[in-house]
Amino acid sequence: MTRHDDELIALLLGDRRRSRALGRWLGTLEGRRELAAYRRTLEVLEALYGDAGAAPRRTIYYCPLPTPIGRVFVAAGEAGLVRLSFRQSEASFVAELRRRLGADVVRSPARTADIVHQLRAYFAGERRSFDVRLDLRHTTPFQRRVLLAAARVPDGQVVSYGEIARRIGQPHGSRAVGQALKHNPVPIVIPCHRVIAAGGRIGGYGGGLGIKRKLLRLEGALAAAG
Amino acid sequence: MSPRRVSLAELTERHRGELVGYLARMLGDHQEAEDACQEAFVRAHRAFDRLGPDANSRAWLYRIATNTGLNAARRRSHRAARAADVDPDALPATAGPSLERREELRTVRRAVEALPPRQRAALMLRQFQDLGYAEIAAALGGNEDAARANVYQALKKLRAALGGVRP
Repeated sequence: MTRHDDELIALLLGDRRRSRALGRWLGTLEGRRELAAYRRTLEVLEALYGDAGAAPRRTIYYCPLPTPIGRVFVAAGEAGLVRLSFRQSEASFVAELRRRLGADVVRSPARTADIVHQLRAYFAGERRSFDVRLDLRHTTPFQRRVLLAAARVPDGQVVSYGEIARRIGQPHGSRAVGQALKHNPVPIVIPCHRVIAAGGRIGGYGGGLGIKRKLLRLEGALAAAG
Repeated sequence: MSPRRVSLAELTERHRGELVGYLARMLGDHQEAEDACQEAFVRAHRAFDRLGPDANSRAWLYRIATNTGLNAARRRSHRAARAADVDPDALPATAGPSLERREELRTVRRAVEALPPRQRAALMLRQFQDLGYAEIAAALGGNEDAARANVYQALKKLRAALGGVRP
């Protein structure tokens, strides 16, 4: 460290103009060396924490599609499907994505074509499960475990909240399981509608019980759901 | 007619991106930054009524985000070892492939992680969030001289960690 450090930093940050004394010192070998070192420090800092280093801004693509349960929105980014939503306006869907994911949100049928195609086939009764990558980074570890357990329930079947709780090793957590499923970011694709209350009662559903019944009927599981 | 007071929803929408970026720079972890930002907005919600109509709302949000970030850093320092900050090997190609360069990145990153959280916050506010010293002082508490001293101290430590550099 030298006695010129503060002045040199002030110069590099644009806080102060170069004084004569600093100008003279910068003409010396020591001055040149220190200037180079501080410049390099700022460059490395920029490489680490500039736009490249800090939280890259993601782009999320979305698209609406008409279905028998009403208009459904899907949204996906580079890492996979992030959101599926129904009973929501386009403006509120986009605002929610921006707010929750901090992403740029762009309407793009081309970038969502694969999942849209699979959903059409599902609602036409031609497809029973989905083959898509999911991006569940914005869920908590507990919620992820619940969602992945729910994802393994095959179509045409239902299981209880308590059963999911047992499968993830938290036999007393059926209430928490219900909460985690209520906030399922990708309903239908992760079939939380196949998880019902004990005793065959249909339980709750984030999208409304009417939609839960419709989905189970479509899959031929409604008799089991009571 | 008095000008319409901007709503908190509008404010958070407008500044969310930069605040998450700031918290990520402060905490070195994007997920933690997202969580801290969420927490900061909850606090902002509670304090919004006390924000005067002529107040600098961006500086106000930075103050709340800074306090939330400092708390998160404090909580973390009580926890065991954690995953590293930014991974220099995952940086884009502009970071340069040379071994020497990689070593520099690693050294400076470690030095940033070793900074006292207030110095790190001050540095990030000055270098990446475009805040002046008066605003940094408002965010951190204290006066402008103290804010500037925090930024300069941080840079001196990083420069010292870098060691000798050829002119």
